Amino acid sequence: MTRRAERTQRIGSRAVQAGFLLVLLVLWYLATNRWGVNRLLLPNPVAVWHQFVDVLRSGEYLPDLRVTLTELAVAFVLAVTSGALAGYFVSRTRYAIRVFEPLFAGIYSIPIILFLPLYVLFFGLGPASKIVLGTTIGFFPIVLSTIAGFGGVDRALVTAARSMGASDYQLFRYVLMPAALPVILSGLRLGFTVALLSIIGSETIASLAGLGHHIVELAEGMDMARMFAYIAFVAAIAALLNGAVSLLEARGSRWI
Amino acid sequence: MTTGDAAVRIKGVAHQFGEEGEARYVRALAATSLDVVRGELLCLIGPSGCGKSTLLNVIGGLVTPTRGSVEVAGKAVRGPLPHEIAFVFQESALFPWNTVIENVQLGMLFQGVPKAEHTARAQKSLEAVGLADFAHHYPSQLSGGMRQRAALARALSLETGILLMDEPFGALDEQTRMILGEDLSVLLARAKKTIIFVTHSLGEAVFLADRVAVFSARPGAVKKIIRVDEPHPRRPDFVTSEKFTRLRNELYALLHDEIRKTVSESAP
Amino acid sequence: MNAAVQNFLGRHPGVVRLGVVVLILIAWESAARWFIDPLFIAPPSRVVASLGTVLRTPGVPAALRLTFFELAVAFAIAVVIGLTLGLAVGLSPFARRSTMPIILLLYGMPQITILPLFILYFGIGAPSKIAFGVTHGIFPIIVTIVAGVQNLKPILLTSARSMGASRWQILRWVIFPHMVPSFFAGMRLAMTGVLLGVLLAELYVSTAGIGHFTTMFTDSFDPTKLFGLIAMLAAMAIMLNETVRRVEIRFSRWR
Repeated sequence: MTRRAERTQRIGSRAVQAGFLLVLLVLWYLATNRWGVNRLLLPNPVAVWHQFVDVLRSGEYLPDLRVTLTELAVAFVLAVTSGALAGYFVSRTRYAIRVFEPLFAGIYSIPIILFLPLYVLFFGLGPASKIVLGTTIGFFPIVLSTIAGFGGVDRALVTAARSMGASDYQLFRYVLMPAALPVILSGLRLGFTVALLSIIGSETIASLAGLGHHIVELAEGMDMARMFAYIAFVAAIAALLNGAVSLLEARGSRWI
Repeated sequence: MTTGDAAVRIKGVAHQFGEEGEARYVRALAATSLDVVRGELLCLIGPSGCGKSTLLNVIGGLVTPTRGSVEVAGKAVRGPLPHEIAFVFQESALFPWNTVIENVQLGMLFQGVPKAEHTARAQKSLEAVGLADFAHHYPSQLSGGMRQRAALARALSLETGILLMDEPFGALDEQTRMILGEDLSVLLARAKKTIIFVTHSLGEAVFLADRVAVFSARPGAVKKIIRVDEPHPRRPDFVTSEKFTRLRNELYALLHDEIRKTVSESAP
Repeated sequence: MNAAVQNFLGRHPGVVRLGVVVLILIAWESAARWFIDPLFIAPPSRVVASLGTVLRTPGVPAALRLTFFELAVAFAIAVVIGLTLGLAVGLSPFARRSTMPIILLLYGMPQITILPLFILYFGIGAPSKIAFGVTHGIFPIIVTIVAGVQNLKPILLTSARSMGASRWQILRWVIFPHMVPSFFAGMRLAMTGVLLGVLLAELYVSTAGIGHFTTMFTDSFDPTKLFGLIAMLAAMAIMLNETVRRVEIRFSRWR
């Protein structure tokens, strides 16, 4: 494509994106202020904005945020530890991979959220059931990517290192880890994302505290403007967390 | 410069990518003029990046040159000429979701051959390249050499007067290249087409071509044209003859400095 | 272990895998029977035995049928919308550059946060479950199809052009057959998404779907029946996923 056509397309697509946002906001405002859409269904965007600012300023989100982040942190640490260890040991032999990988992949294909009622039955409505759910869901992408990462290391590299006299530890530290790291890191990122989503999800469905639960409270109280604001807030937090993890994934490959 | 009428007239064709000052600016081809004799096999050889593939694409109407023009059978080339020109590319341009024979038939569909003739012509070309037994195989089931035979069959079935081949054997190992080269020579002796053939291989150029156009380093221009006066089909033992060695050495002498120039330019 | 057995197991990892599953079941059985309070966990033997009772519970078979209906409808809608949007965006470079960032933004949003909103808008019946399933299902399809169009090797387009193919012929004979595997891969991901969406909505609030009964069995501290119900749902999910996967393989034979 010629340079000018290229530039026109680039400006044009940005215009479409900006226009889309603008039209959406305008329609929203008109719908609630001029066209008489029920405030109980769609709150006034201005009111939502005020509520959003209020949420941030009042800091009322802090206890819920603390609960959610704690659940996430514990679940993720457990998932990483169990997933990485299991993945590493399975990846040590081709045979173990052939036995276990389809097993893990098969279980992962079931929507594990189904087990939430069982976890609630066993662990109650508190943070424990959320943590267990986050761990069990986050475990699978991590173990599968660890197996793929270590299992996919070019055998030629291992042979070369061994022929130069590398010990088991040296092989792991200087060959296996760097080779497997990109795949494992992407699995960690995926595990983090699904753990976060499942924790917020389980808070929405069956919980006494946490960000997801707070949105449900607002919905039940029909506080539409504040609920919209809270949804935006939680989405922003999720985006921030995922963005941070993506950044770490990109940087992580350079540490080892 | 030539005897016999010209199937292709290349008139002052030059091409560059991008504008001066842009990061991607490159002068691919310097002004080139050349007449391709009807029925000959002309080889274009030169160092990497000398513009021979670009020239081929210009001749075939896939690229509009920034300067100059090409005439094919008296007509100016302004776009693809599916009835006059057929291509064989280096990487497999076979559609992976179709079998070999379906690929050949699809080419004829695009060109506009009446449906009734598809099967017969396809069978004929597949037999000509030795793939009749593999008509219903998928490209992924074939070796690299067989895939290129299939691509050649597709080009032949279009029954064009001109065949443009862009390093068709470039991705294959030397032994497969040797066999395919010999088979190509036999095939083309029968088919009487005008062929322009781009290659990196000196031996391949001497073995297959009636004339070899040697290009200089980028921006490429024709440095010299060498004649290979040897009737087609070329006998396999032509490769060991004194004439072959002499011509190959001549090519080597012409190319060596150009290749060195290219390598030193692209070194980090 | 003698050589013949080792040899056999070596060539049949599936047998060992089965053995692992059996071991887990045995561990679970013994733990549930002798170590853990039966109020919280049920041994697999009793779960299997009580499957009949679960199915005889009034409303359960209807609930299972309703859930299946919600899944099927959500999937169908997601595929139709997703395919249309995916092709519209994928085939036009301008549409792709302008709308893909928006689509990816929406795809990345934690949709679970708006589940209460969906319930407020669509009610507590099937429509909200279907709607929530659709929103989870369309994005994977769109993204997969757009990616599929983009990874078409340019040489194939060049080759078709050089043989005189018209724009319509290129669409019909080059782009479309190339897209088929991507389409089925997208369908497979859509099924996963739809399963997640519908089940999330069901577990959140349900008066006649299986969510109603999971709540009931949880509140009455009946892990046996609860697990039986979940097992049946898991089986439904596996069956649906497997079906779509088989269809995908069948249509990607040339790969």
